[in-house]
Amino acid sequence: MKKEIRKFWRNTLIFLAVMGPGIITANVDNDAGGITTYSVAGAHFGYSLIWSFIPIIVALVIIQEMCSRMAVVTGKGLADLIREEFGVRVTFYAMVVLIFSNLFNTISEFAGIAASAELFGISKYVLVPLCAIFVWWLIVKGTYKSVEKVFLVACLFYLSYVFSGFLSKPDWNEVVKSSVKPVFQFNKAYLFMLIGVIGTTIAPWMQFYQQSSVVEKKIKLKNYKYSRLDVIIGAFVVNIIAIFIVVVCANTLFKQGIRIETAKEAALALKPLAGKYCFYLFAFGLLNASVFSACILPLSTAYSVCEGMGWEVGVNRRFREAPQFYALYTTIIIIGASIILLPNVKLIPIMLISQASNGILLPFVLIFMLLLVNNKRLMGEYTNSGIYNILTVITIMGMIGLSIGLFFTSFIH
Amino acid sequence: MVNQDKLDIAQEKAKHMFIYFSQLMDKPVFDKNGEWVGKLYDIIIQPTEVYPQSSHLVLRKGFPNRKYAVVKWLDIQEIDNKDIRFKLDKSEIRFEEIHNNKQELTLRRDILDQQVVDVYNHKVIRVNDIHLLFVDHSLMVAHVDISTRGLIRRLRFEKAVDFLVSLFNRNAKYLKEEHLISWKHIQPLSVNPVSMAIKIDVAQKHLHNIPAADLGEIFLDLNAKDQIALFKSLDITTKARIFTHIDFKTQKSLIEELNTNEVVEILNNIPSDEATDFLEGLPRDTTHEILSSMESKQSKKLSQLLGYSSDSAGGLMTTEYIAFPKDTTVEAVLKQIKDRTFKVEPAQFIYIVDENSHLIGSTNFRHLILANPQDSIQNAVFRKTYSVRLDSSVKELAYLMEKYKYYSIPVVDANNVLQGIITVDDILSQVIAIAWRRLKKIKILAKQ
Repeated sequence: MKKEIRKFWRNTLIFLAVMGPGIITANVDNDAGGITTYSVAGAHFGYSLIWSFIPIIVALVIIQEMCSRMAVVTGKGLADLIREEFGVRVTFYAMVVLIFSNLFNTISEFAGIAASAELFGISKYVLVPLCAIFVWWLIVKGTYKSVEKVFLVACLFYLSYVFSGFLSKPDWNEVVKSSVKPVFQFNKAYLFMLIGVIGTTIAPWMQFYQQSSVVEKKIKLKNYKYSRLDVIIGAFVVNIIAIFIVVVCANTLFKQGIRIETAKEAALALKPLAGKYCFYLFAFGLLNASVFSACILPLSTAYSVCEGMGWEVGVNRRFREAPQFYALYTTIIIIGASIILLPNVKLIPIMLISQASNGILLPFVLIFMLLLVNNKRLMGEYTNSGIYNILTVITIMGMIGLSIGLFFTSFIH
Repeated sequence: MVNQDKLDIAQEKAKHMFIYFSQLMDKPVFDKNGEWVGKLYDIIIQPTEVYPQSSHLVLRKGFPNRKYAVVKWLDIQEIDNKDIRFKLDKSEIRFEEIHNNKQELTLRRDILDQQVVDVYNHKVIRVNDIHLLFVDHSLMVAHVDISTRGLIRRLRFEKAVDFLVSLFNRNAKYLKEEHLISWKHIQPLSVNPVSMAIKIDVAQKHLHNIPAADLGEIFLDLNAKDQIALFKSLDITTKARIFTHIDFKTQKSLIEELNTNEVVEILNNIPSDEATDFLEGLPRDTTHEILSSMESKQSKKLSQLLGYSSDSAGGLMTTEYIAFPKDTTVEAVLKQIKDRTFKVEPAQFIYIVDENSHLIGSTNFRHLILANPQDSIQNAVFRKTYSVRLDSSVKELAYLMEKYKYYSIPVVDANNVLQGIITVDDILSQVIAIAWRRLKKIKILAKQ
């Protein structure tokens, strides 16, 4: 008995040391864009979309697990592997699209910061530059370890959505029922929303970011099972939080028949219905998510591009040692923050471009991953097993279909 | 060296004899009747000499069901940057599903786009292109290209970018600068899938010439898998040199990949103070396991050292030193020093002890060389040798060594029996650590 307790503690300690990449990557999924989508889904369709989070969890685990596995087995980032196996031209074009899509994603994160500034009654001309400087300073002055700790704390702040969910006093029976029982509505708006909810879940930068951060953590093969647990926990946590966002909006806005288009409108509409605490928690969640993602997206871009092009990489290096890395990182933050401060900037085209470039890149990234993870020379005995491979192919085809669907629906809108 | 001369002459004779691998890659290949056979996919090289020569080429055809064929270099009639023509007939070339050349080194799979070690600049680099030289109908790997221009050439934008740059500045640095690194300074890192070790050949000797501290830094630049692969393929001296210059975390992750015998071999080849520093950080069970598989003499010594507090003289000292009984003649001492091999720690002083290992005094090489060879070593001793006790503090040590300008100081026990020595580099790293902590405290206070 004593021995078992000791073993349990030892395993917990190892897990705590390995934990991070999976949880962080999954949580960034609930960024400003994600929160908007989930709020709108809840406000317009009530609980009827909640069931879709279960397939999302499965897809997220399958795809992110492969990244983790490749990182642990090969010790190389995804961009590294693509360059080494598919050559420099493919990598170059993939990186160009990745920069594009991440830049526009970053802009929408800063839009999230601007929106939450307005919710808190602070001028966006103050909060956006402040956050940009904070984000820049964190990476340039930090080490991998300290940065990861900050990120994990940011993950904790997502709990504000759970609290706001409870404050809206939902009918839990109904929530559970609708999450296990799929209800289809065959109309255009519902299908578009469904594609939107699933399609925003898996973005190309996530695979690059997760693989690089597992590599940077130098996780051992024998501790791989803990890394997998990290991915699984991340997928569950992120979707539970997303469910809470849907629940808050469904329970208040949907019941009152209030239509919203953005997360900011959602928060404002919540104030009279669910009280000011619920409003503040919702707004704080948006700010936290936006700042957090505004950190990770430029970082992930700089990582992937420098890996692929063979430039020096790393949070642990100084500016002079890795000039391209920091230049790219800084440029994306500056552009991201300054576009939001332009007067009369329109957010819809920015969202469209970011979704479109994601949709173009994701099929390629997923196919590359499938080829890499099944490459015996790289993965040895850790390639996908037969059944798992079929499951993966189905998931990947589904995701490709959805992201192409998202690409077209966003233009039809 | 013949190859070096050959290369130098060739370089002067004909600059146009150089070709980039990217200019050959995917070029069409024809048989003797001018019929299309496939595309050039890869080149297999023979890494036997400083500049390896091409031995086979790999063809590829078909999509998506790709097929490969390996053809001897001798079967090539003509090769240039437009196409390749064989002496063979199409029917003689057999295509297969995979090309099985795990053991060889190939340009596209093992070098192009891969990370390699530049042993001259002590850096890990990524290869953008490979510079080849035509020699006697075969190709010789001359340089690797790591420049941005090489990257742009691979993307097939070279002409466009060259044109754009020359519009702005005809003499731009970009157009003239070549960032080529000679192959003799390149250590490939491709891992042999069978032995899980790096395919090491001639170049390993270059790794020997790199200062240990730089070698450690190169090592830290590699990813974990390459670290282990490279480490396993090195000889024990290089292993020991790297091991003493990497941080504890990396040491630990390396050890986990090795078996106990290999660990013991490394620990036997590094100075005992480094070995104790490392063992101190390990869990107690692991330390026990390692010590119990060592030779009893060595393990006794290490476990004794492990018993001392890490910031006392006992914890800092190494047990590798040169000591001789007082009656030994100077000639015999010099001969023994010549014959003995020493570990990494520099041997600056020679200590003189009596029959019960009590410390009598010390001397240095200059004294020894100047002394009469027939004299006993006692006559070459300094006037007085200061020593410290096992429990002396770092401060005390630093103070004494600074005062008497010692490179190393002997450590004795309560009965004046010589136990070990402490060298100045170990003290320096301790003192620097203390100074840093103080400096940080001062900075924090100033901020408040």
